[in-house]
Amino acid sequence: MATLTYLQAISAALRDELRDDERVLMMGEDIGVFGGAFKVTDGFIEEFGADRVMDTPLAESAIIGTAIGAAVVGMRPVCEMQFSDFIACGFDQLVNVAGKMHYRQGLAVPITVRLPSGGGFSGGPFHSQNPEAWFMHSPGIKVVAPATAEDAKGLLHAAIRDPNPVCFMEHKHLYRRIKGEVPDGIHETPMTARIAREGSDLVVIAYGAMVHVALEATEDLDGASVEVLDLRSLVPLDTEAILASVAKCSKVVILDEANATCAAGAQVAALIAEHAFEDLDGPVTRVSTPDVPIPFSPPLEQAVLPGVERVKEACRELLAY
Amino acid sequence: MSSSRTESLVDVTMPQMGVSVAEGTVVQWRKEVGEQIQADETICEISTDKIDTEVPAPVGGIVAEILVPLEATVPVGVVLARIAPAGAPGAPSPAPPAPSGAATRAGDDPATPSGDDPSAAPSNGAGGPPRRYSPVVQRIAATHGVDLGLIKGTGRDGRVRKQDVLAFVEAGNGSRAAATEDPPLHIESPYRPDPAPAPAVGAERLSRMRRQIGEHMKRSLETAAHCTTWIEVDMSAIETARAALGLTALPFVARAITVALREHPALNAWLEDERYTRHEAVNLGIAVSRGEDGLIVPVVREAQELSVEGLGARIRDLARRGRAGELSPDEVRDGTFTITNPGQYGSIMATPIINQPQVGILDLEAVVKRPVVITDAAGNDSIAIRPMTILGLSWDHRALDGAIAAQFLATVKRHLEGWTGI
Repeated sequence: MATLTYLQAISAALRDELRDDERVLMMGEDIGVFGGAFKVTDGFIEEFGADRVMDTPLAESAIIGTAIGAAVVGMRPVCEMQFSDFIACGFDQLVNVAGKMHYRQGLAVPITVRLPSGGGFSGGPFHSQNPEAWFMHSPGIKVVAPATAEDAKGLLHAAIRDPNPVCFMEHKHLYRRIKGEVPDGIHETPMTARIAREGSDLVVIAYGAMVHVALEATEDLDGASVEVLDLRSLVPLDTEAILASVAKCSKVVILDEANATCAAGAQVAALIAEHAFEDLDGPVTRVSTPDVPIPFSPPLEQAVLPGVERVKEACRELLAY
Repeated sequence: MSSSRTESLVDVTMPQMGVSVAEGTVVQWRKEVGEQIQADETICEISTDKIDTEVPAPVGGIVAEILVPLEATVPVGVVLARIAPAGAPGAPSPAPPAPSGAATRAGDDPATPSGDDPSAAPSNGAGGPPRRYSPVVQRIAATHGVDLGLIKGTGRDGRVRKQDVLAFVEAGNGSRAAATEDPPLHIESPYRPDPAPAPAVGAERLSRMRRQIGEHMKRSLETAAHCTTWIEVDMSAIETARAALGLTALPFVARAITVALREHPALNAWLEDERYTRHEAVNLGIAVSRGEDGLIVPVVREAQELSVEGLGARIRDLARRGRAGELSPDEVRDGTFTITNPGQYGSIMATPIINQPQVGILDLEAVVKRPVVITDAAGNDSIAIRPMTILGLSWDHRALDGAIAAQFLATVKRHLEGWTGI
């Protein structure tokens, strides 16, 4: 057991997998010699060589397409998108080729696509997005989004070992801010939700960086007993855990850092409306980013991203209902 | 809100529909709080006795308050709603009345339903909008048989929250301690409890009309000292006369009864507790069947002013509109005596139940050809075939005795057998 940052936990998972399984290889822009834009793969090229830690051209479609070919012939490629926003350039390969391969041809595509996502650091509209819902809407692709160092490592092991294409949403804002105890060696975190804090009056459902916003906002909310459910995995979505929390608390706030429309939280809200109607004691409430690009301006960015105060306000409102 | 604001509102009250009508039930609100309404536009529909009718707005304006919830039964005169007249101060901003205003009103005008069913008053204290409950609150209430109207809510604006209903149940309230039905073993499990056995074919709640008829009949049986006297009548003269006029026997019997009631006013009367009122005018109620729905009793007012042809026309008109549900409340009230006439199917005798607060009801059944002994002027008996009927009079032994009933029937018989165009 070691105390690692979220970023160190991701590095550790990658290193463990490269060491453990010679089929694992990495591709991405500046991940080799430079060690990655965020230094996740710092020192990897020295240990594993340029054949397994491959610097690629600025061509996301080529990165993912190559990874798909390698996966089909038995490799376990891990692709890094330098920023998750850039996945748009590799969209066709991921959604149409990787996602449908098993359905069309019966071939497994065990690739992992790492997507550094999220805002909060004045990165502007091209470097701050949370595109997870794009892939939730596309059958054949799994989507995971860890909130803690332990889960970052465990879910990355699970993603690499999964026979399906997996989008691994790693939140940039958590890289060096979050630290935690991480088990040594390879441990797989199941793709299910986790109760981050038990409660009974209201549940806040979140994932990724928003789990920490939810925990901080509801730590002391006028004595209310607030549960925080960390989804961890968006595809598959842990329906059972969501409905269990709703049945217990009857009031729900759903938190998304992504733009509101058709976000992961919208799917959770729909699920609750359909299957937990009789458990509800108040309107299903959503807190998310309005449907605007993320601004460069720090005050403007703070204004659009869901923060602790907005979550507190939404929870108080619903608790009083 | 000041009390002057409440005083500027115009009350809409449960109207008086007939002397025996003490209460009415709101069966539909046509307007909601905050809606515009024109003078004389219908604000709600009510059901009283055997009549469903509409309540018109006394003034135009905005519906400020609705004080009686749907399906609640309240006495005549109770304020159903209040309208802010157009142009009145504060008219377009309906809001629940201030406690002071409500208290002031409560003295002269009971604004709360007087029925003993507390669930009929699901409002927030003194006449706010009807309460709404969340799905989980309704589910818990249904599971535990809790009347949500009894719970004081602690949510926003007194809303009943899940915590409130759970605390109420934990405090030992509710009619059922636990769920009556096993939930599925698992939310995704294909297992479901066996469905409850199907109810008997067509089991359903009685219609409002049937329930009201039932209440009236039971009340009458409990109130009056019922006694029924029969008399046989030779309808030969009536058969001849009615063929000539193209009428049924009913208007002739109605005419004979009207004349007989003028001679025996003891039966043209109301008995309300110990108050006995004999009437000059004969307001004749005629029971009209509405098939399976029930029956209705329109009233021929001042029947003594009408000829047999006039009675026939009036009865036809009232019966047609009665079956179509087009009668106004004024046309079913103030009856002083009632005729019931189910004889068209061949039945010959019945013991009708008195229509309170009247003291007599006459039953006209089938006219049947029978062999009867007749005596001629010389005193010779012979057997003849005559169209005969049996008139049954139920009368209230509290108001009169058998001799009066028999004399009345004898008078009716005399007029019918010796029909001379009275």
